[in-house]
Amino acid sequence: MKTKSVIAAGAVLALAVAGCGSSGGGGGGEGAGQTISFLTHWGPDQVKALKAAAAAFEKSNPGISVDIRAVPFGNLLSTLRTQGASPNGPTIASVYDLWLPELVKDGLAAPAPADVAKELSGNWPANLVEGVTKQGAPRGYPNEVDLYALNYNKKLFAEAGVAEPPKTWDELVATAAKLTKRDGGKVTQQGFGVITSWPAGVVHPWLSLVNSNGGALLDGGTPKLDDPKVKAATDLYARLVKEGSTQPPMSNANANTTGPYLDNFVNGKTGMIIMANWWQSSLKDAMGDRYQDVAVAPIPTGPGGTGPASVSYSWLTVVNGKAAPARQEAAWKFLTYLNGSTSGKNGSSAMGDILTSMGILPSRTGDLKAHEAQLSDPFLAAYVKELANAKPFPAVLGGEAMSQAVQKHLENVVFGKETPEQAMSAAQQEVADILTKASK
Amino acid sequence: MTAGTTTLAARPQAGRLGSGRGRAALAFLSPAMLVIGLFTAVPIALTFWISLHEWSMYTPLGDMEWRGLGNYSDLLKNQDFFQALGNTAIYVALVLVVTVPLSLALGMLLYFPRVAGKGVARAVLFSTYVVPTVAIAIVWGALYAPDYGPFAQVFAALGLPDPTWLSAPDTALVSLVIFHLWQMIGYYTILVIAGLTQIPGDLYEAARIDGAGFWRQTWNVTLPLLRRTTTFIALVAVINAIQVFDPVYILTQGGPAESTSVLSFAIQRAAFQHGLAGQASAMAFSLLVILLALGGLFLAAMRRRS
Amino acid sequence: MRRRAVRLAAGVAIALAMLPPLFPLYWMVISSLKGPEELQRVPPTWFPADPSLGAFGEVFEAVPFAGAFLNSLLIAGVSTLSVLVTSVMAGYVFAKYRFRGREVLFWGVVATMFLPPVVTLVPLYWLVSSMGLADSYLGVMLPWLANAFGIFLMRQFIADIPDELIDAARIDGAGELRILWRVVTPLLMPAVVSLAIFAFVFYWNNFIWPLSILQDDSKFPVVLALTQLLSYSTSVQYQNVVMAGALIAAVPTILVFLLAQRVFVQSVSRTGVKG
Repeated sequence: MKTKSVIAAGAVLALAVAGCGSSGGGGGGEGAGQTISFLTHWGPDQVKALKAAAAAFEKSNPGISVDIRAVPFGNLLSTLRTQGASPNGPTIASVYDLWLPELVKDGLAAPAPADVAKELSGNWPANLVEGVTKQGAPRGYPNEVDLYALNYNKKLFAEAGVAEPPKTWDELVATAAKLTKRDGGKVTQQGFGVITSWPAGVVHPWLSLVNSNGGALLDGGTPKLDDPKVKAATDLYARLVKEGSTQPPMSNANANTTGPYLDNFVNGKTGMIIMANWWQSSLKDAMGDRYQDVAVAPIPTGPGGTGPASVSYSWLTVVNGKAAPARQEAAWKFLTYLNGSTSGKNGSSAMGDILTSMGILPSRTGDLKAHEAQLSDPFLAAYVKELANAKPFPAVLGGEAMSQAVQKHLENVVFGKETPEQAMSAAQQEVADILTKASK
Repeated sequence: MTAGTTTLAARPQAGRLGSGRGRAALAFLSPAMLVIGLFTAVPIALTFWISLHEWSMYTPLGDMEWRGLGNYSDLLKNQDFFQALGNTAIYVALVLVVTVPLSLALGMLLYFPRVAGKGVARAVLFSTYVVPTVAIAIVWGALYAPDYGPFAQVFAALGLPDPTWLSAPDTALVSLVIFHLWQMIGYYTILVIAGLTQIPGDLYEAARIDGAGFWRQTWNVTLPLLRRTTTFIALVAVINAIQVFDPVYILTQGGPAESTSVLSFAIQRAAFQHGLAGQASAMAFSLLVILLALGGLFLAAMRRRS
Repeated sequence: MRRRAVRLAAGVAIALAMLPPLFPLYWMVISSLKGPEELQRVPPTWFPADPSLGAFGEVFEAVPFAGAFLNSLLIAGVSTLSVLVTSVMAGYVFAKYRFRGREVLFWGVVATMFLPPVVTLVPLYWLVSSMGLADSYLGVMLPWLANAFGIFLMRQFIADIPDELIDAARIDGAGELRILWRVVTPLLMPAVVSLAIFAFVFYWNNFIWPLSILQDDSKFPVVLALTQLLSYSTSVQYQNVVMAGALIAAVPTILVFLLAQRVFVQSVSRTGVKG
């Protein structure tokens, strides 16, 4: 008899479960209203601003409601992969341009409608629109732009009696040596810092040096890692490590983009480092008054190059091509508002306001103008000046895997596990395989 | 006990499915089996299915490209997979070798002596397990900072050379193991304590009357009677070590120079960053097969001994 | 005399054994009391130069922390209760019943633990969301209402309970549920409590599944809410806040542990069959 009560209890539980399911699991409405969701990786302050913009949009567009969904930066791509193809997936997503080719291939980044395309070509720099254009149509609104430059510590330069930041690789090596301090056999201050354990942090600064030496990572779809102009940058790393000007144990980064590489720079134990503009806010938070010691210079030019050529990458917002057409339409409408001149202050878009609040460069021409005063801050201005010379990181199918293969071999060089020759020829082989496999 | 023995209906405690007691067994078993079957076994079966395909996960499950065993043959040529397998084996072995003796020792230390503050000590040991990994991993990152971190300062004060911890390929994996042990040892110790409470006190009384000292009591009473708990701890320690992901992800991302790329990280990276869900699933399945083979050997060895 | 010396030695050993667990926890506490600049300072300060409890207030403003705390209590509480019930029942069957295929079924269940959960994430998401449970508390909890770990643990402990106790109860005419509830469970309390604690911590700290299945941040559990603060441009700014939030998040589990561990007392002589 006891058995029966157990079974009965089980049945009640099952019913309760089913009941909760139908009541709790709502979601896609069919009626007049459209609910669109916006997936972003921004921090709480920016999410608040985005929610405010969404509320303003909802007021003037009754029938459309916008849900803002924030996930931690490190989990953005996995969330996109988990939910992207599902009917519950996000309607709009903020994505890194390296992910775009795959999203387009699988139909997750819808082509922009004609009016959006027109808006883009009228109000954004042509090279950025080009960057988000795949298979003949732009795939979203470019927003955040990041690029790399040489950051250095003016106080350490003064102590070492160096007046100017290095303009060439030879000067870089000499300056790095001067900035390196030893206490007995132990290096207490490194001249030039590199980053490890973080794909973009390893590959982008190195590629900035490659670009500034007249080299490139890819020629069309062919890897160029065995090109002497590329290998020269790897040789440069090996030389800096060998001379002690670069200390591998000072290079580690973690998933929160903090760690020894940051600690050493903000505490005056690293003289120079190549980093992107977005870390300005980290520098300010971590350095306080000492932030005034930081200065920015263009990437030093290599013997094969004609001038500094940094690496740039961008973020854009795409619309899910798997969403219902009416939803997609509502999504583009919201994006047009968010990126338009009426949603922000002083002719800026709301997007421009949000980005500059993080110290990040916006990309819409009007936003750059509206935030001119803020962007003339010496740190950001130095980056803005280099933007025209920057080369976008090649966004190809298999880009993440390619990037991590290069990272692995560069780290092998930094830690003395491979010579530059071995590293570059192995990377060439692996990247070629990755690209062939990905583009099949 | 052999698998699938026929029912020994003659034994009074032997339940039999279908009889009254059997119905009770069915009712007791089914909630757990239903949940595990639906939400664990079905996804595992789907994972195997995925491992025979190429899939970016951006398309619906029904829309994958068939590859047959191609993902498995690719693995044989994949250096990174073997490196990850090797790293995982070292990681698991180190965790296992330290966890079992250390948790037994700590468990006995925090159970037998009549000392004030034992409860607090257990809570302290256990609290390392409770603090969310996202936060404590950042703390360990700071502790491990080479040259200036607190550990480096202690080593310098003792006149020892500074291990580079997470910042060099030779030491990074071991540093992660130390963090893992720190985080988990309290958990296993509590299990040992729970196991110790099951041992009847009069067994010790009897041993004492026989003149057995502490070591002989440990050897003849405690350890044999803790065998099930120890087996459980060993197995769970292996599982937890194989599945380690968050610390690797947060602290090293598999680096430097791939030295901490363990399988669960490599699988996650292939699937979610590279969009190669088929290959990732093939890695996962190969891991499962290897483990089942090892587990089978282990069980066979155990059986021969008993 | 000798006994006192032993006790003293044990006390010293326990005190020494507490150092390794305490030091990183100490470091976490002082990290939550430092500002972003001091946190990044090299060499780090062993005592906060300018200690402030500000981060503990800030965590409630930066993320919906109070709501997330309640969400975690709900998710972890319900899941833990369910795991206790399902594990004791299934563990009892696996330990004390004999039927065809028992071993295969049991080891099959154990084998499911070997696969890293991240592998099955996408199929699981697909399964749960196609049941209409995406973005619901039920969707977060349902796949974890029973688990292999709990069943395995319970089987190991129930197997050590003498069969005679159970047989005696059967002869007295007790039904199976009564035996499980009145005879087996009381003897199992240390194991049940340890399972409860582990399950609670697991669900409290579970991250990847709630992240995948939940969308509305008002349903986020604590860990998910905290991780939100670690975006690339904000991680320096909020590090102390994350520490503070994680410390607050650890309090309920430690309290539960302090209360529950009373069952871990030295067993008074327990003979085979009672009354």
